[in-house]
Amino acid sequence: MTGRKGSPLATPPDDKALHGSLTLTSITDLLQFLAASTRSGAIRIIRERENVEGMIYFDKGEVLSARAGEQTGMEGFATMLNWDRGTFFYLPGIAPLETTIGLPVQHAILEAIVLLDNRSKHEANDNEPVINEGSAYMEQVARESTDVMNDLLEISGIDAVVVVGRDGFVIESAGSSTRINIDELGASLAHAVNGIEEMGTELNINCFQDMFIEYGRAVIMCKPVGDAIAAIATPDASKLGIIRHKTKKLFQELALSF
Amino acid sequence: MTVMRNDVVKALAKVTVQSDEHGLIPEYEVLVNLLPVSLLNTVTERLLAAAPERQEEIEAGLIRAAYECGYHTGCGIITSEIFNEVVMPMVTEGEKDILRGAYAAFTAWGWAKSGIVQLKEGQRMIIRAFDYYEADNQEGGLRAYMLRGLNQAFFDLAYADPYPDGMNTFVCKQTKGIEAGDAYGEFVVTKK
Repeated sequence: MTGRKGSPLATPPDDKALHGSLTLTSITDLLQFLAASTRSGAIRIIRERENVEGMIYFDKGEVLSARAGEQTGMEGFATMLNWDRGTFFYLPGIAPLETTIGLPVQHAILEAIVLLDNRSKHEANDNEPVINEGSAYMEQVARESTDVMNDLLEISGIDAVVVVGRDGFVIESAGSSTRINIDELGASLAHAVNGIEEMGTELNINCFQDMFIEYGRAVIMCKPVGDAIAAIATPDASKLGIIRHKTKKLFQELALSF
Repeated sequence: MTVMRNDVVKALAKVTVQSDEHGLIPEYEVLVNLLPVSLLNTVTERLLAAAPERQEEIEAGLIRAAYECGYHTGCGIITSEIFNEVVMPMVTEGEKDILRGAYAAFTAWGWAKSGIVQLKEGQRMIIRAFDYYEADNQEGGLRAYMLRGLNQAFFDLAYADPYPDGMNTFVCKQTKGIEAGDAYGEFVVTKK
């Protein structure tokens, strides 16, 4: 499967190689680190319990191909992004026999997240309970918005979370950012989102779903939550892919409060 | 486009008001005055302390006073020249935007830093406030009588029969309060 004959895939490499546990670092963080240092090679991942093995091949900031068990290409790559328990090994200098992805690391992560989103939507539809008369199913009680926002703050890379009304009223905020004045952010976001929604209406391309703004000293990501807008502030774009993935369900939960 | 709260606050904050020789300010078709917040809170405390066994009646009276004041002053605000000039050009969502403008005006004049969290037109509204008259009054429980009356009045003005026939259509309950140890005050307006 690899271009380096006789590479020791069956056994872990020696102790000098970069390796570690996925409980300490995520695959996206690892890939972004290796891409930033223009490394080439492969990451071998062994998932705990199921003992499934995966490989991600990359070359100087580009993901070339991936395989997770029987899944190959983007499917396999997306599956591995969801693995949070297991061991990884960096194998320098290994090249794949074929390129099945061929995208820059950041782009590949975003593509994989879209794929994971679609998968979870299908799963949610399949698992939706059928409510009949007299059914014991009850709607889950929504958590307080403050609890959901505190969970958002737990995600690595997020400095502050703010929920803003369409008029710019700062409804709630959590965390703090030394780079951004939260009140000013509320007013600015309301203006920006209004403009963007007007553009969406003019172009007849539906409502806005996501907005990312990268500034020199901060990145702001925002999404509509109910009738309001939620925004998170992060120092840079390096963790944006994983943040987007991890915040998805929490934003959906937050929408129940607004 | 919708009403941009910050623009309203900035525009209204520039307006200067002048009281007459009696200390009364003729604004919004009523006479308003400028008194310390502690005066209202002291009156409230004394009333409640004077007849603790009639707490419910006293609370209802305080809310009613705020409601009647809010209903007439609120109508004056949303039909005033300055509101027409500053807020109305931004109104694209009818009553919803007028309410947004009204809460921005509230904030600009220091009555309460408050705004709309959720609004189901003509049915339900949730308001949050971070600074209001009774916020510092930690004598016990939820005590934002002024805002309860005003929220109810504003929703009546927006969605009940036209002024002055729409009184008493909606009711406002307080669910959280800074005075009770919460991070903010929260108010839910629903049909009576």
